[in-house]
Amino acid sequence: MEEAKELQAVIDKVNAAATTYEIVHEPQPADYYTKIQTNLAGGTAADLLWLSQEFIAGYADKGVLLDISDYLKNDTRPAAKLDDYFSDILQTAQFNGRTYGLPWIAQPVVLYYNPKMFADAGVEPPNENWTWDDFKTAAEKLTKDTDGDGKPDQWGTAFNGWPPIHMFIWQAGGEVISEDKTQSPIDTPEALAGAQFYKDIIYNPKYAAPQEVIKEQGFAELAKNGKVAMFFGGAADDLDYAHTKDPRFAEMKVALVPKGPKSRATFAWTASTVINAATKNPKAAYDALVDLTEGIHRWKIVAPRKSLASAEVIAASVPQKQASAEVILKALPDARSFRIVPRHSEWDSIFWEKFQDPLFQGKGTAAELAKQARPELEATLSQ
Amino acid sequence: MVDFYARTLIDYAVVALGMAVAMFIVFQVLVRLGMKREAATGYALILPWLLGFIVWTAYPILASLYYSFTNYNVFQPPKWVGLDNYVKWLTNDRSFWPSLRLTLLYGLISLPIGLALSLGVAMLLARNVRGVGVWRTLYYLPAIIPTVATILLWRWLLGSEGLVNQIMSPLYNLIGMDKPSWFVDERYALPGLIIMSLWGVFGANTVILLAGLKNIPTHLYEAVELDGGGAWAKFRHVTLPMISPTLFYTLVLGVIAAVKTFEPGIFIKLNSLTTGTFLQVLVYGNAFAGGNSRMGYASALGWIMLIIIMVLTLLVFRSSALWVYYEGERK
Repeated sequence: MEEAKELQAVIDKVNAAATTYEIVHEPQPADYYTKIQTNLAGGTAADLLWLSQEFIAGYADKGVLLDISDYLKNDTRPAAKLDDYFSDILQTAQFNGRTYGLPWIAQPVVLYYNPKMFADAGVEPPNENWTWDDFKTAAEKLTKDTDGDGKPDQWGTAFNGWPPIHMFIWQAGGEVISEDKTQSPIDTPEALAGAQFYKDIIYNPKYAAPQEVIKEQGFAELAKNGKVAMFFGGAADDLDYAHTKDPRFAEMKVALVPKGPKSRATFAWTASTVINAATKNPKAAYDALVDLTEGIHRWKIVAPRKSLASAEVIAASVPQKQASAEVILKALPDARSFRIVPRHSEWDSIFWEKFQDPLFQGKGTAAELAKQARPELEATLSQ
Repeated sequence: MVDFYARTLIDYAVVALGMAVAMFIVFQVLVRLGMKREAATGYALILPWLLGFIVWTAYPILASLYYSFTNYNVFQPPKWVGLDNYVKWLTNDRSFWPSLRLTLLYGLISLPIGLALSLGVAMLLARNVRGVGVWRTLYYLPAIIPTVATILLWRWLLGSEGLVNQIMSPLYNLIGMDKPSWFVDERYALPGLIIMSLWGVFGANTVILLAGLKNIPTHLYEAVELDGGGAWAKFRHVTLPMISPTLFYTLVLGVIAAVKTFEPGIFIKLNSLTTGTFLQVLVYGNAFAGGNSRMGYASALGWIMLIIIMVLTLLVFRSSALWVYYEGERK
């Protein structure tokens, strides 16, 4: 709700300066992707749409999105300069060398932690040299039974599939989709090490909140309510300033995610604004897209542009984030988004059904499951 | 907005006028072809319904049959793949079998319990107690509350800190059991869904059964009394046989409804890989949800469901010879 109001303010500003178009905001809080798919197929979709990274290649491949590459070439507005975008973020809006949208956010995962819980448990707060082992040790010490009923009621961390398991596979030097997008080498020793690390912690009452607790009490709410000491959240999440809005929430700080054996790769959630290929006014829609993107880049952190990756811009966009800005900026160079293939959601459901979910449920070892899943995953990569 | 409504009104007027003209033409053509005026009027009058049926029902059914043999993403033309989708559902989809199991068990358990309960309530309501109208209204009330509201209510009632667990906690303590989180724990998901399903059964079924009960001639009960039979004998030898056609009707509709259960599966997120979810939810998920339509794959499941419903209905029909009694019929 609050977000819709903020966006409306951004749109009002853009509209006030515009002569050839007017942006009308149609919020669609529930079942967004179901709704726009139906609208696109039925020819009633809006001219501008937001798509999360996973969807753009697929829709571009089906010819539903307007190719804006040529418009961008002749445009001098700052938001239209592709060189300024982080290339790893921008690639999610591109397909076969053409550009179909502009990303509006690059949100790396950071580690939110609760300093009070760390102090109470006598554990050193996370620092920049933290490794997986340090994280695990701390998580174990922070998982405690405080009311003496024999069951833990505070936990070191909470995972429920978020952050994506891909992030830990990358950190161990593995890949889920190869750079040329023809392979899914999830059975390499590196990939298996990443998956195993994640599997060892998720829902494991030694380190993390069990599934029932997460479902009942809410995932991020556990951290806000001071029941989870470390939480992997997006840089734009409100965990580090929730307590300023409501004193019942725990005070949290921000650190970099722990380092894996090979790197500190961190997943960056991103989404882009795209144009419906069936629009009647492609040029006006394109102009609106660029102006709107510029507006959003000065509202949502982190803007996916190198020139805007500064503490000042972050503080100006979201003043409550000032204290965390430094860490967020440090996380940016390691930020990575998914490599997206046209049949991504099919790939994704195989990855989940044949690998990730059975792994979490203990229905096979990482190595067995990866070996079975790989050929099926790769079958969806060949177009 | 005013503009929008005005345009909509004009649209309706145009459609209505067009329909009237079409009906008139059909009437004229049929009369010229030598049909009686009365029959031609009939055909002309059902024309709107017939067109609606063809456009909104018959065509989608045939289209989905065709799509079930194709790969179709709603944006590009469908590609023929033969029986691939059917084979994939039956052999290579991890959510299919758990979901089939959940759907069938749900129907198999909730249906008889629900029928027995609504029969019991109907028998109570059939008596001429004081204020029977009020009771009838009260029992019908749950049926008119939107399903979604009911589900949200039950999701709250059956949560781990919900009312049901709070009331039952002395019992849990007695047998040394943790408070179950009904819809999260896979062991309790099915019982939870069944308990929830019983909430609405009193509505339509009770009214139908009540009508059946009211049709039983009282002289049959008097005959049992003369023979010295008690309440059980009346129920066993009069009530049950006399309302068996009504029970049969509600059972057939219940079987179809159970296989098609949808809302609880959408509003209570079940894990489709371990507990399964309702088959209809899988159809919806593949056809519409998530932004990447697999319309062909979803259509195939729709047809698999149709076959399941047909087989189950056939079984009920076949078995009916054993237990359904029609007046004036000799066994």
